[in-house]
Amino acid sequence: MGLTLRLAWLVLDNTFRNPLRTLLTALGTVALVLVVTLVYTVLDNLDRITTEKSANLKLIATEKWQIPSQLPYRYVAGLAQGAAKSETDTRPTDYMSWAFFLGSLEADQSSRDFNSFIFAFVMEPEKVLTMMDELDELSPDSSDYKNLAAAVEKLKQNKQGIILGQSRMKKLNKKVGDRFKLYSRNYKDISLEFEIVGTFPQGRYDESTTFRRDYLNSALDQYQRDKGKAHPLADKSLNLVWLRVPTRDAFNEVANQIAEAPEFSAPAVKVETASSGIGNFLEGYRDLLWGARFLLAPACMATLALVIANSISISVRERQQEFAVMKVLGFQPYQILLLVLGEALFVGVVAGFFSATATYAFINFGLGGLPFKIGFLPTFDVPVSAILVGTFMGAGTALLGSLIPAWSACSVKVSEIFSRVT
Amino acid sequence: MINTGLTFAIVDSWRLPAWLAFTVWGMGSFLAILLVINRVPVMYNVLNMVVRWRNTLLSAMAFTMVIGLLTVMQAFVNGMYRLTETSGQPGNVLILAEGALDEAFSSLAMADSNDIANQPGILKDGEQPLVSCETYLLAAQSVPQPEGKTKRRFLQIRGLVDPVMAGRVHGMTLDSGEWFSEAGIRPDPDDVNAAPLVEVVMGAGMATEMGRDRGAIDGRSRKEFVVGDRFELNNRVWYVTGILKRTGSSFDSEIWSKQSVVGPMFGKERYTTMVARTADNASAQKLKEFFNTEYTKAQLSAEVESEYYKKLSQTNEQFLYAIIIVACIMAIGGSFGVMNTMYAAVSQRIKDIGVLQLMGFKRRHILVSFVLESLLLALFGGLLGCLIGLFADGWTANSVVSGSGGGGKSVVLELTVDGATLISGLMLAMVMGFIGGFLPAISALRLRALDALR
Repeated sequence: MGLTLRLAWLVLDNTFRNPLRTLLTALGTVALVLVVTLVYTVLDNLDRITTEKSANLKLIATEKWQIPSQLPYRYVAGLAQGAAKSETDTRPTDYMSWAFFLGSLEADQSSRDFNSFIFAFVMEPEKVLTMMDELDELSPDSSDYKNLAAAVEKLKQNKQGIILGQSRMKKLNKKVGDRFKLYSRNYKDISLEFEIVGTFPQGRYDESTTFRRDYLNSALDQYQRDKGKAHPLADKSLNLVWLRVPTRDAFNEVANQIAEAPEFSAPAVKVETASSGIGNFLEGYRDLLWGARFLLAPACMATLALVIANSISISVRERQQEFAVMKVLGFQPYQILLLVLGEALFVGVVAGFFSATATYAFINFGLGGLPFKIGFLPTFDVPVSAILVGTFMGAGTALLGSLIPAWSACSVKVSEIFSRVT
Repeated sequence: MINTGLTFAIVDSWRLPAWLAFTVWGMGSFLAILLVINRVPVMYNVLNMVVRWRNTLLSAMAFTMVIGLLTVMQAFVNGMYRLTETSGQPGNVLILAEGALDEAFSSLAMADSNDIANQPGILKDGEQPLVSCETYLLAAQSVPQPEGKTKRRFLQIRGLVDPVMAGRVHGMTLDSGEWFSEAGIRPDPDDVNAAPLVEVVMGAGMATEMGRDRGAIDGRSRKEFVVGDRFELNNRVWYVTGILKRTGSSFDSEIWSKQSVVGPMFGKERYTTMVARTADNASAQKLKEFFNTEYTKAQLSAEVESEYYKKLSQTNEQFLYAIIIVACIMAIGGSFGVMNTMYAAVSQRIKDIGVLQLMGFKRRHILVSFVLESLLLALFGGLLGCLIGLFADGWTANSVVSGSGGGGKSVVLELTVDGATLISGLMLAMVMGFIGGFLPAISALRLRALDALR
């Protein structure tokens, strides 16, 4: 015990003997662990959202053979019931239909810019609180939930109501209660009047908006009355339907019921879990994610190991006489080995922990998450496990980088070293 | 390719004056080094690097790792830029329905196509206008995977009225096989009762991509699709009649088939796109303006084809910024490693510095000497990194290109290591070397001869 403490003290003492070298090694570790932490954050979040759940699953029903999925709105009623025909058929516990509506506050196409655009989920207002990712997990006691619930209530009472994300509202230079006209980009010749009835909580839906499905339906009906023909998208105005089922078995049954229902055959519908849908979407980025996982992260670790190996080997070469003296004083080679490894490990662990913790705090609390602007993917929070990973990364690369220098330190030959001393 | 690499993208994004100032500073430093180099003990530095070969090698390897990795990452972005910049002909005009954000969302009335195709400004071959009428769609294909799993892949299918005309308008030619037939289908010789095979011509990138998946299932080497191969989609068997010659454009990632077959099959009976060939880019600009402002028989949205594809570079920019951030962090991390080496070099050679001063070398010569040593280290490691990164040239990878207006295309791109990539890699190595060597060199500069020798 005494010897262990003595070695530990020596490790600490030696670490601070050349503070500049220790600081530079630590800073190198901090920088490279930062990159690994960022890569880990992205991969961990993608793994999490593409991992199949076993209970309380969300399903996505979309057009089977092509994207973008454009289904007729009449599909909603049947899909919401999971195409159940009899009492014994399995039914989803909840549902939400989505149509995507892109529009601008500028009537003149030439003066439209990004800040004047709105991307809206056209849906059933009451489903905002029960089916939308993350919003369906808000605590009823939280202020975010209460504010959103109040906005949803107003939306249910006001057909022309719209809920905006906070940054989008800021970019539009509007406030709750303001009215505006939205000129559609994807629904040709459809313009809608809106009144802002509330905002989404800060975070994932900062740039999103939502308004009532029946308002879009009315606009499409009005188009038909005015023009004497149906709107080109009238029968393609349902982009997807979300379903919630309690178990995997229920998912299989609902998916089979929908696949076999003749009313969902033209166009055909496919049902998949949300995680599977996201996984398929990410297939387009397969090689990029492979590169991040198997090239970028290992290359950072290898560079880090080299930086540490260099630093420790310099230190070992400078202290050869010291190690020889230690041997004369009775230190065993394994103790010298542990001493050198301990010095590297100490720097690696402390710098790795500091880097990962600082990244965690800065990204989660400073930036509000790591922006990963691909499709509908949300910003990614750095997981708590990243702190552990960063610390282990610092420790692991320190050990790896210091193995050879430590071995050379414990292998110094006393006679050789002292023969050089003049 | 010089204007497609990271270097020029950085110029665009980081403001030209700052970049010019940096270049002037770099060149100034280099000139200053040259001015005093005749008084700098260069051989002494080189010999020291050789004697301390382990440290030299470890430090250089850190450069090699960082620069090698960045070269590969940059090659990927170059491939994306090359793809969006080489897709589309500058003399072509892409005509979509008004308000369509992307080909996939467009819907043109078939009845308007004849009038559109016969507008002045569009080139003709005899009486036939050089116009390709197309239905572009994204199909979801279930791909069997090992262990009985399936994944879904999105195939970009372009239904064409006349494949020869489409090839001519888009500048695509066949590498092997033949164009699909007028009917677009053929009987299945293996099963006379089966539905006819759907004939397709496949882009070279798509042939590689689909071959890779097939290899994952049946265990054979990842051999690309060739003429005569088949695949299943939408409950039909599709037959490859030809493979397009690789052009590095997004058409390499497409499957071309008969419009009258695939349109109804996917519920897209209308054209999504018409592509008209004009004499040159100036004529294309005029025709675009005409369709957007003067043409009244249909509401259209026209764009010069090459400009349309250039706008699909939003993803490129996202990756580019990510690479710049990673490059900066890794360069900082690597610089600390070099700094460590150089501080150690200074502390180990205090007596040498004293001797050099007594021999008449000025302090500035010693400063330059250590900076030069660090730069040599960086050059050696950087060159090695560039060499390793060079191996990535020609690799293929899948990705998605998209624009700010929505839509996007799954593409198979070719990683491109060009001169600009190698130069920017070496420049970064030199910057790392300079930062890593400058402070230790200053510490060497401050030593006094007698103190050093004491």
